Amino acid sequence: MASSNASSLSFLGRIWLRAAAAVVAAGFSVPFLYLLSENLGSEEPFGFLGGEALAPLGRSLGLAASVSVTASVIGTGAAWLVGRTDLPGRRIFKLLLPLPLVIPSFIGAFVMIAAFAPGGFLESILGPLGVESMPSIRGFAGSLIVLTLFTYPYVYLPVAARLRQLPSSLEESARLLGSGAWQTFFRIVLPQARSSILAGTLLVFLYSISDFGVVQLMRYEALTRVIYATRLFDRSTSLALSLQLGVVALLVVAIERVITQGPRQSSSGRTSRALLVPLKRSKALATTLLGLLVGAALMVPIAVLGFWAIRGLSRGTTSGVLVTGSIAGPTFNTAWVAILSAVVAVGAVLPVVYLTVRHRSRVGDVSNAFVVGGFALPGLAVALALVYLTVSTPALSGIYQTLTLLVVAYVIHFGAQAMRSAQVALSAVPTTVEDAAKVLGVNRLHRFLRVELPLMRPGLVAGGGLVLLNVMKELPATLLLAPAGFQTLAMKIWQASESSFFSDAAIAALLLIALSGSLTWLLVIRRAEV
Amino acid sequence: MKMLRLVVLAVIVPAALGACSSSRQALTIYSGRDEALIGPLLERFSDDTGVAIDVRYGDSADLALLIEQEGDATPADVFISQSPGAVGYLAAQDRLEVLPDDILGSVLKEYEQSSGHWVGLTARQRVLVYNSDEVDDSELPGSVLDLTDPTYEGRVAIAPANGSFQDFITAMRQTLGDDVARQWLEDIQANGVQTYPDNNSIVDAVARGEVEMGLVNHYYNVRYLDEDPGAPSRNYQFPGDDIGSIMLATTASVLEGSDRAEDGEEFIRYLLSASAQEYFADSTFEYPLAQGVEPSDELAPLDSLAHPDYDIQRLGEGLEETVNMIRESGLL
Repeated sequence: MASSNASSLSFLGRIWLRAAAAVVAAGFSVPFLYLLSENLGSEEPFGFLGGEALAPLGRSLGLAASVSVTASVIGTGAAWLVGRTDLPGRRIFKLLLPLPLVIPSFIGAFVMIAAFAPGGFLESILGPLGVESMPSIRGFAGSLIVLTLFTYPYVYLPVAARLRQLPSSLEESARLLGSGAWQTFFRIVLPQARSSILAGTLLVFLYSISDFGVVQLMRYEALTRVIYATRLFDRSTSLALSLQLGVVALLVVAIERVITQGPRQSSSGRTSRALLVPLKRSKALATTLLGLLVGAALMVPIAVLGFWAIRGLSRGTTSGVLVTGSIAGPTFNTAWVAILSAVVAVGAVLPVVYLTVRHRSRVGDVSNAFVVGGFALPGLAVALALVYLTVSTPALSGIYQTLTLLVVAYVIHFGAQAMRSAQVALSAVPTTVEDAAKVLGVNRLHRFLRVELPLMRPGLVAGGGLVLLNVMKELPATLLLAPAGFQTLAMKIWQASESSFFSDAAIAALLLIALSGSLTWLLVIRRAEV
Repeated sequence: MKMLRLVVLAVIVPAALGACSSSRQALTIYSGRDEALIGPLLERFSDDTGVAIDVRYGDSADLALLIEQEGDATPADVFISQSPGAVGYLAAQDRLEVLPDDILGSVLKEYEQSSGHWVGLTARQRVLVYNSDEVDDSELPGSVLDLTDPTYEGRVAIAPANGSFQDFITAMRQTLGDDVARQWLEDIQANGVQTYPDNNSIVDAVARGEVEMGLVNHYYNVRYLDEDPGAPSRNYQFPGDDIGSIMLATTASVLEGSDRAEDGEEFIRYLLSASAQEYFADSTFEYPLAQGVEPSDELAPLDSLAHPDYDIQRLGEGLEETVNMIRESGLL
């Protein structure tokens, strides 16, 4: 297999591919190099490796690891229930399950507190039923719950896609040979979906370790809180701790690379309708569990936001920001800058994808690490690095404070999400197809455009979709890098909530959720399901 | 292939847009005040004077960091800060110009900064917000210093990472001395104080009854009650000249080396004009700082407030030590 891989590209072609990947890697390495040089220039170089400085990192690692476990179990379970069982209401669940991903964590956590914390909405609803007070959700447990609810789609989406592609014939044979539903799940489904689960879990891990919104509001002393608290008056500490995150990301990528050294997943063939496992007596339980999941992660936030919006509108306490029609501009900006960034991100990571999947090489590994690492860095660090680079480089100063730079920041920050699903997609394209095309004398570009791209399309679209959703809710880099006057919905939500304009924040947040939901449906779900 | 065309478009469109927007004609304002609190004034200024405005909204501290990183290349002409700390950070680096005397002289004397690098626009008062269902008026402390008393164990919330809390600690250090401030931080930590991220979440937690009282700026609960008049949260002002009820100014300043300094100054004059100050007073629930403008009816008049005798001019100084002190106490 390896030899046929290598031969699918000429020597010159491989040089070009490596050069392209190296250029991409150079772009993605900017924030790392910035953090590294700031650190080396500080009074205590590598002070961030010292004992005391590692405590917040330890807490963040513990949280991110726990979220990875819970989110991967929930995401995989949900994908299996929806894709392989006779669960009632599968269609509705399919539509709703990915959507919690669109809720920005800084507003999501606030809403969760309003809903579930002591004195919150749920308590006032349950009050008449004899519930005295809700347990306080905060700290590690609170962060774990909220992060899990907002990140399980990272696992659900790729696993559901994988299950759609996997022939169910093996499972059917296993069932015929007498193994139970559970046995079949663990012995057949799980191993085949392994790489998808891993890919999704890695994103969950990186998201959780670099998240600020949730740990801030849940009052958990994670690394990002220290980075935030020290950013102005102890800048070197702040940047050094940001570098810790980057280093962790690179380590995780290295570990992942070792784990996935094993055999590649079997290639796919699209199947006729899969045999659905009858849930029998567990049907009610499974439906209730999924219902609770979607309820907590999606319906509750929407209900709380809806309540604030209606209360504000009926009392006339909206600030007028919405009435003057000034929300239309930000909505439009949010949509197109996100679509643009998603397309650029997919294009930018493709060379790295090819190099890592088809031609394992050091250049590929390094590029892969930098692309993935970009997701783990705080948005603020990515932004400051790009400010530094463009302001101090005369040739680049022209793009400072332009949308080009903003898009570059988004691509660096979220490119990893496009790359993961693209890698899974490409490794599922059988090399035999390419070989056949090659034998028939089709040239390389044509093979790529006519054969591989169409086969990879669902994966590329899904990856682009993740970038799209993340760009739409991104805040720290947007605040610093967007051209003055260019506003997005996330900025509107943040500003309104900062000044306690709950109803304005709620209306803008509902708009963001609706926009994300419809764009994902139009551009991603419809296309990826072909 | 469609995809390829999209990629090409994706590169060209922003580049073209970038080329258009790089013509720097407008007065560029970096505003730590949110759009809801200042946006309408910017529009009015632009309409009245014909000066085009580009505004970047953000967190005051983040914007100060951005200006520092941008160095001389900063497009910012005016910096509006929500807290004295962030503007003090830039003043200490000589990044702000000295404002003309007529601007400095137009505000209440206490709110003009001695070196003239910034001027106060409005003020927010530090208060104790409390849940009136759970706390009896007689239980309220006579001084912020009393919150370290065992009576209040586990009942009080603070926001140690928040700029306003840090400004308050700076004021405490400057009036009562570093030792008192350090001791207070250690004692309140030992007294089981609850830490929250910001003013908003404290007011919300108090209103829900999650915590009984908390140290915040007066503005947030006034807004909260405007959204939810049934909430039991109330502002309490420490009596007398207690350090717990100091005024914190929001500020305006012009960047050193700005090529639009005159427009920037004109803009600040506009913000200090009677009509703009009345706007602040009526729609943002803050205290106007220009001489001769009265606060909104819902607030007590400014000069009737016995605010403590401390030097607001120095509030922007020494924040680094304040933050270190808070961190040493284990609160941050």
